[in-house]
Amino acid sequence: MQNFFQILVSGISVGMIYGVIAFGYQLTFSTSKTLNFGQGEALTLGALVGLTAVNFLIGVSLGNLWAYLIALPVVFAFGMLQGTVVEWLGVRQAIRTKSEAGWIMATIALGIIFKNMAEHIWGKDPIKFPSPVSENPLTIFGVNVRLMEIIIVLGALAMMLGVELFNRRSIYGKAVVATANDRDAAGLMGINTSQVITFSYGLSSLSAALAGVLIAPITLTGANMGAALGLKAFAVAIIGGLSSGLGVVVGGLILGITESLTGFYFDTGYKDVPGLILLLLVLSFKPAGLFGKTAIKKV
Amino acid sequence: MLEIKNLVAGYGKVKVLHAISISVPKGQLVTLIGSNGAGKTTTLRAISGMIAPEAGEITLNGENITGKSSHDITRLGLAHSPEGRRVFGTLSVTDNLLLGAFPRLTGKRPKGDVEADVQKMFDLFPRLRERREQLAGTLSGGEQQMLAMGRALMLQPEVLLLDEPSMGLAPKLVEEVFSIIRRLKEAKTTMLLVEQFAAAALEVADFGYVLENGKLAGSGPADKLKNDPAVRAAYLGHGS
Ligand SMILES: Nc1ncnc2c1ncn2[C@@H]1O[C@H](COP(=O)(O)OP(=O)(O)OP(=O)(O)O)[C@@H](O)[C@H]1O
Ligand SMILES: [Mg+2]
Repeated sequence: MQNFFQILVSGISVGMIYGVIAFGYQLTFSTSKTLNFGQGEALTLGALVGLTAVNFLIGVSLGNLWAYLIALPVVFAFGMLQGTVVEWLGVRQAIRTKSEAGWIMATIALGIIFKNMAEHIWGKDPIKFPSPVSENPLTIFGVNVRLMEIIIVLGALAMMLGVELFNRRSIYGKAVVATANDRDAAGLMGINTSQVITFSYGLSSLSAALAGVLIAPITLTGANMGAALGLKAFAVAIIGGLSSGLGVVVGGLILGITESLTGFYFDTGYKDVPGLILLLLVLSFKPAGLFGKTAIKKV
Repeated sequence: MLEIKNLVAGYGKVKVLHAISISVPKGQLVTLIGSNGAGKTTTLRAISGMIAPEAGEITLNGENITGKSSHDITRLGLAHSPEGRRVFGTLSVTDNLLLGAFPRLTGKRPKGDVEADVQKMFDLFPRLRERREQLAGTLSGGEQQMLAMGRALMLQPEVLLLDEPSMGLAPKLVEEVFSIIRRLKEAKTTMLLVEQFAAAALEVADFGYVLENGKLAGSGPADKLKNDPAVRAAYLGHGS
């Protein structure tokens, strides 16, 4: 039983990471019906930029935690910028020409370019990311929990809550929701919908970059760290529904937990299988996702 | 005022409008009538920048707006309540109204008192006040139509385009919509109205244009058009 809870804890933290990345997919899909297939590389770059910033700050004799906190805004700004570049180079033209698949190829290609850049700048070997908090686990009811795992859960929830509040409370957030509802009608309200789409790409990469610096301290940082995560989060986005905000958290947790359970009770080699089976089941029985709503339409 | 000269527009290779010219003087209510598929909606779409005109010139208060994007045209003071209502279904009634004032809330147009204007819309459409927290997608068709009109008015527009505001409404609601249009006219709102009920439209309008297969087939003061035998035969039925 102890083991079970132990596994649950690691499943939850990985699941929340999937959730944040999948949330990023939702952000651009809702405004533009396109997504960034280089989302995994956005995570990689975010983590590596974070690594450089943190090491620099530790170098000027800041403590690990302060270094991490001060590096966060840098990582966010970088994520915004990186997403903007993806939208400008890979997506804008495809949306304008109503190309069905142009953006798919373009965002995959940009992802490969970003990965090569990362290999060139940071090398091919995984690097340790200085942990902002103690790496000694706390023992809660006999279960070992690393402080960083708690931070992952809180950080992921804060990100999604922040965006949700922005969408509900501010007029700019409402403009984003309006664009997602009906782009032409949003334009008639005086909303620059191309800008909204660019912004949603920025925010999407920002979520991935945040996921990167959240998971980096408990894994390793490197040019290849994002590829598998991006792909699994895509599965989570499909399972949770590309249009349902809450779905990605639940989807992420389902995938994260089944993965660690399979890895422990069955065989680590098979840990990707249950998630993929779940994905196939959802695709055949509930293509809008487990929590996807069919849109409210009145004629 | 709004001035359209020799407008040519359509969808891709399909040309719908063949050099039409319309003038909407300040403070006047002009109506555009014509049968289904004549190009009325296309005309409004080209004016508000939802589609790019191929030729011709559109000016708003003397400023050339031909080919500008719809958000820029809206920020210059032109509001368009589009065909089919197009309210934001997952947002509340109040949020839909606030979005109508987006340029005012973001410094692109004089702000004024947005909150007070929301209340004014609720006075104009009391049904919306009762449902202010309801999601727009769950409103009835008639309520959505009122919301679409209110949302357009929230811009405090210099020119208002209305595309079939009575579409799909019960007769009683149609009357209500026309009484609101009459009130807007009394308040000197500059309007271009597209209506399926040509007789009712000519009744409230100052001036009218008749569109046929993308060309102007006639125009004149509304009370003259109303009595024109050809217009009567084609658009007003027999009884009216
Ligand atoms: N998005 C579109 N793509 C291609 N053709 C279109 C499109 N919208 C309208 N058309 C065509 O343009 C022509 C004019 O349509 P429009 O909607 O302007 O007519 P209308 O006068 O508003 O008619 P109604 O009274 O039925 O609303 C029609 O032949 C229509 O089929
Ligand atoms: Mg029409």
